[in-house]
Amino acid sequence: MNLTRRQFIRNVSVAGGALTLGFQLTGCSEEPLLLGSETDFRPNAFLRIDTDGTVTLQIPKAEMGQGIVTGMVTLVAEELELDPAAIRYEMAPVHGAFADPEMRLQITGGSASIRVYYDILRQVGASARETLIVAAMNQTGLARDALQARDGSVISRRDGAVRIAYGELVPVARTLPAVTGVMLKPASEQRLVGHYEQRVDAEAKSNGTAQFGIDVAPEGCLTAVLLRCPWFDGAVESFDAAAASEMPGVEAVFATEHGVAVVADGYWPARQAAAKVDVRFTPPAEGLRDSGAIARAMAAALDGDDFASVRDEPGSGPEDGTLVEARYEVPFLAHAPMEPLNATCRLTASGCEVWVGTQAPDVARDAASRVLGVPREAVVIHNQFLGGGFGRRAAADNVAEVVAIARELKRPVKLVWSREDDIRHDWYRPAMAGQIQARVGAGGEVSHWRHRIVGPSINQQVLPKLAGSMLPQWVPAGATALAGKLAAGKDFASVEGAKELPYNFAGINVEYHNLPVPVPLGYWRSVGHSHTAFVVESFVDELAHRAGLCPLAFRRRYLAEDAPARRVLDAVAEAANWGKAPPGRFQGLAVHASFHSVVAEVVEISLEDGKPRLEHVYCAVDCGQVINPDIVRDQMIGGIVFALSAALYGEITLKDGAVEQGNYHDYPVLRQNEVPAMTVVLIDSDAPPTGVGEPGTPPAAPALANAIFAATGVRQRRLPLQLS
Amino acid sequence: MVAFTLNGGDVSLEIDPQTPLLWALRDNLGLTGTKFGCGMGLCGACTVHLDGAAVRSCSLPLAAVAGKAVTTIEGLGGEHPLQRAWVEHNVPQCGYCQSGQIMSAAALLAANPAPDEANIRQAMAGNLCRCGTYHKVQRAILSVAAVAHWEPAVEGEA
Repeated sequence: MNLTRRQFIRNVSVAGGALTLGFQLTGCSEEPLLLGSETDFRPNAFLRIDTDGTVTLQIPKAEMGQGIVTGMVTLVAEELELDPAAIRYEMAPVHGAFADPEMRLQITGGSASIRVYYDILRQVGASARETLIVAAMNQTGLARDALQARDGSVISRRDGAVRIAYGELVPVARTLPAVTGVMLKPASEQRLVGHYEQRVDAEAKSNGTAQFGIDVAPEGCLTAVLLRCPWFDGAVESFDAAAASEMPGVEAVFATEHGVAVVADGYWPARQAAAKVDVRFTPPAEGLRDSGAIARAMAAALDGDDFASVRDEPGSGPEDGTLVEARYEVPFLAHAPMEPLNATCRLTASGCEVWVGTQAPDVARDAASRVLGVPREAVVIHNQFLGGGFGRRAAADNVAEVVAIARELKRPVKLVWSREDDIRHDWYRPAMAGQIQARVGAGGEVSHWRHRIVGPSINQQVLPKLAGSMLPQWVPAGATALAGKLAAGKDFASVEGAKELPYNFAGINVEYHNLPVPVPLGYWRSVGHSHTAFVVESFVDELAHRAGLCPLAFRRRYLAEDAPARRVLDAVAEAANWGKAPPGRFQGLAVHASFHSVVAEVVEISLEDGKPRLEHVYCAVDCGQVINPDIVRDQMIGGIVFALSAALYGEITLKDGAVEQGNYHDYPVLRQNEVPAMTVVLIDSDAPPTGVGEPGTPPAAPALANAIFAATGVRQRRLPLQLS
Repeated sequence: MVAFTLNGGDVSLEIDPQTPLLWALRDNLGLTGTKFGCGMGLCGACTVHLDGAAVRSCSLPLAAVAGKAVTTIEGLGGEHPLQRAWVEHNVPQCGYCQSGQIMSAAALLAANPAPDEANIRQAMAGNLCRCGTYHKVQRAILSVAAVAHWEPAVEGEA
């Protein structure tokens, strides 16, 4: 082995100052990762170059359509002086080196991937490049200044007479300590960052060869479906599998801690047999088991006075302004990614292998290890392309289920959820209720903003599960549950976007009441912002109309001169020709900051038989330095489509503890014939990059609701929009 | 036994003839480019061609394809003008629905070589995309439609 453990650690520690290179050796026990062959040049955990010049990058984040593979390849290629398309990529295995530097978990979320890896991955490329150049110096006797890297070779700067391909330099480069702390290119010299437009996974995703979790089939793999309890707190009480076991192709029918598994030689025979299983579940506990009861409990909490303060700035405004007050409600939402959940498991001598498209490989690994009662290191996760994530695939319930099935079956098995399983057993965006009041003076001055939010804490449920995979395995589950409970009182996931209200009103008060419900909750594209933006930006619109001001002028009045929100508002207003909509068109406006970015949107509608028809959505985004402009535009448009689907149609309701919807007919999403035209403006910026996967989502619903008010005079205070 | 033509070759399967074509393709024939999305013909992810027409394979029993010609995304070969347009326009995001989108688009172009935007919006309404690639799908189809319009002789299908 050429890169010794000591050398590896030295490289790590050299890089441990300003430039971390992404190494977090999360425990002394964790061996450094050495993928590929011993003859490869492996300057760090992310990159290897073999002697034929093949460059392979480990992707530490999940590719779920947000374009992270293209983004990461672009960053490395920029400094490594390569065509991005020439870089091979692999989904990284679970290892501390690939943990998100902020979250300390190998997890994809919070629109964080490019923001946290922007410097790290450019350093990965730069470090490899400089080390290869040192190898070329050794080989040619030329000085550093006489050499440069271009298109996968080190060449002599003056005449190009010397040209050595990276692969030829590998035997020398791999014996050298990696050069670290390299000065990165200034923006003026970047040829890919801000310009590179080709998605590197487009080919595989256009010819059917892209491999998603559901496409994996290890030798001898059977297919399982699972009959789950329709309500969330039930377990299998008894079942009769006699008829099912007789069905053709059926291999086994048995209960696990998650339900009744039906295993067959394909999905169809398994599903057919599952319909013949007679299963009884333990009855549900008493509690909030209907959507109506939950809504009433939330309204009652809003009427009460039991709130935790999350922001309290006393106001100095007049007490005699008109008191404006309104209540808003949003429903539970499912993610409904196009690829139904699935996972494949094969037991090994010490543990198991799992193939799955997951946003959180080490959460998946932890879940699998707990089911088998083996150390985490005995579980290997093979991450795949994700057929949509949106937060749903940060959970590992599908992994725990398939490992439990494999544990009993003792043969390789793939668990495939139906669409009905997906809609009825999601980790839902919680239903929430909010009330805002404020005073508006005669001159339109706003004071005494008080925003009260009621709803279940996502983090009370999710944090203990995440913490379980972050902490050593000996930490008892009770300790992580306590951590979740402590986090719940002022749950940032419930108040984000409301707490950071950007307007300088005189006096701002934001409060939260946690109302636990017996429904699994999770992160849904933009999380808390998905509802707080709707409530805040709708109510701001109400205030603007009350003050008799144009919604744009009103917002600008309460934003600082240099506020990023003002810049995107002005940009979107210009793009949309705000205030001068064509005859029969009506516009609504919203602006919202999330995940370190800020986005303003104008939704333009017409009325058809009194009903709104989406015509055009304009969007302006400030997300710092753009890496791949086309991907940023796609993420804005995708985030808007996602939000409009929810605003128009999205609603999960509960009856007797079970979800009433089941497929795309009763949980509809926007279709090709419904999408409006879209225009996206990217604000020029040389600030470090910020989030793009989620920030496009929050402003769309309030902008649409505000457009409907402009068109009809009817204020929409509930999602999905009430359009009779 | 059900015999049919698959991507130009003869195949026969000895499985329950009520098995939806989707699962025969994926589980019995190993062609995983065709995707499962809803199982009810609501999302279009499973779209393939049956004698040239777009069908939802999740809801089509194998028995219904006996003696007919089935084409899947694998059968388009990768160099189909739509597939080139998909890459050139960066259509896919997560990519899961795109096999179905392309198969629906290919059937549309076979029936109407020069569709306009309204034709496309209507013909593609059965293919859901949660990532929101709808505009790119439109644009990619229009780019190929334009080629078909200006050079109808190439495929001889005008």
